[in-house]
Amino acid sequence: MSSGLLGVAGLAGLLVLVEALPRLGLVDDAYLPPTSRIAAALGDELGTAQFWQAVGDTLTGWAIGLAVAVVAGIAVGIVIGSVPVLRAATASTIEFLRPIPSVALIPLAVLLYGTDLGSTLLLVVYAAFWQVLVQVLYGVADVDPIADETARSFRFGRWARIRHVLWPTALPYVFTGVRLAASVALVLAVTAELVIGAPGLGKSIAVAQTSGAVPLMYALIAVTGLLGVAINLAARVFERRSLAWHQSVRGEVPA
Amino acid sequence: MLEVSSLKKVYRSGQREVEALRDLSFTVDSGDLVCLVGPSGCGKTTLLRCIAGLLEPSSGTVRLDGREVSGPPPGLAMVFQEYGRSLFPWMSVRDNVELPLKQKKLPRERRSALVDEALSAVGLAGTETAYPWQLSGGMQQRVAIARAVAYEPSTLLMDEPFAAVDAQTRADLEDLVRALWQRLKVTVLFITHDIDEAVYLGQRVVMLSSSPTVVQDEITVDLPAARDQLHTRADPRFTEMRTHVYEQIQKAKRAAAI
Repeated sequence: MSSGLLGVAGLAGLLVLVEALPRLGLVDDAYLPPTSRIAAALGDELGTAQFWQAVGDTLTGWAIGLAVAVVAGIAVGIVIGSVPVLRAATASTIEFLRPIPSVALIPLAVLLYGTDLGSTLLLVVYAAFWQVLVQVLYGVADVDPIADETARSFRFGRWARIRHVLWPTALPYVFTGVRLAASVALVLAVTAELVIGAPGLGKSIAVAQTSGAVPLMYALIAVTGLLGVAINLAARVFERRSLAWHQSVRGEVPA
Repeated sequence: MLEVSSLKKVYRSGQREVEALRDLSFTVDSGDLVCLVGPSGCGKTTLLRCIAGLLEPSSGTVRLDGREVSGPPPGLAMVFQEYGRSLFPWMSVRDNVELPLKQKKLPRERRSALVDEALSAVGLAGTETAYPWQLSGGMQQRVAIARAVAYEPSTLLMDEPFAAVDAQTRADLEDLVRALWQRLKVTVLFITHDIDEAVYLGQRVVMLSSSPTVVQDEITVDLPAARDQLHTRADPRFTEMRTHVYEQIQKAKRAAAI
């Protein structure tokens, strides 16, 4: 059996298990409703405008935050990475700032932006930025000295060397960074909505929970999971298309 | 013309100093093909990087066509030993050869003509859309040579370009370098550790001592200009000269051992 089929079978098993557990009375269906009721709640929800508004809000916060983090991470990473003095001077600061959980900034975000989109963005950008920055720094360090000397011997200027040598070398790392950042950004976007009450799926989940709509709560949680899967898949497809030349993608070289 | 005078390079790392080049002087006349040969670890690569303007010498000067080298000079192209790392894997063969021409700001038609000409000169017409890593080692080094030739340099530096290819490919590439040199009237400085290769290719052979490096000896190769792998290498004069070069290199190694 192929791994794809096995994966589908595993997922089906989980759905069956969630259907069976409350029906057999092993768990209270007030806490875990069976799959069919969650699916029904999801079906109803898909027809409402609020649901799509919430999905749109979450994705807006996610996309803007991610874009800001990626652009900033790449720019800062290239500058720091290509200047050895800067790299040495910032290494300890980065190692200190990076592990601070974004969630710890929630009070600050609320203080600055209240329950606006700004709060979500602050958290998303902070979390995603480090993922990109660290990968870009690895990528810049990976530039082959021979490739760089080749470019210099042909009198490439600084900008041409960044564009034609550094950037293609760092690109696989950038993709990894963006993929990691995209997942983290979604987690933080939903967290911000859930905790701060910024509009989006997270807020809808909180509202469903407080109003006792348990199947709907599960349905919305499943939707955030599906968004994560979709984001990851899209990132991988894009990565494989852009890196056809890279040894991790190109596979066997025809003799 | 390439003039290297009293070139000295000392590497410093903390308290330690390593003198790689002590006092090197030699000249390569315009249109000449000179081979530099020396024992392994004799600072050949350091010397080449100084000539290419990639490394600053501690003292002494390199002059190319009358101008002192203080950065990669115009009119110079370099072929590296590590072709696999010197070619860009993210670009097709054509783009690899064309990129330096774009940096030189040549118009599109001119670039296209130079790339086609260079690729057919090295026998690679038809591989333009392939990626370097889809080609054999010998073909990759041909691409690197085509890239250097298309750049229309007055001087071509070659740093042990055939050290990593098999013997048969190597013989073909040696003949290719001689053919290109005769056709393009370019000045070639060819660095190698292979004594036979140096005598076979060069008009002159400059022998280097062990590190710290000075010029050990120099000979003019008075073999006929038309050379081929079979007859030139069987020529008694060829054998005589390779013996001479071999003895000098051995002498250099013994001097270093004492």
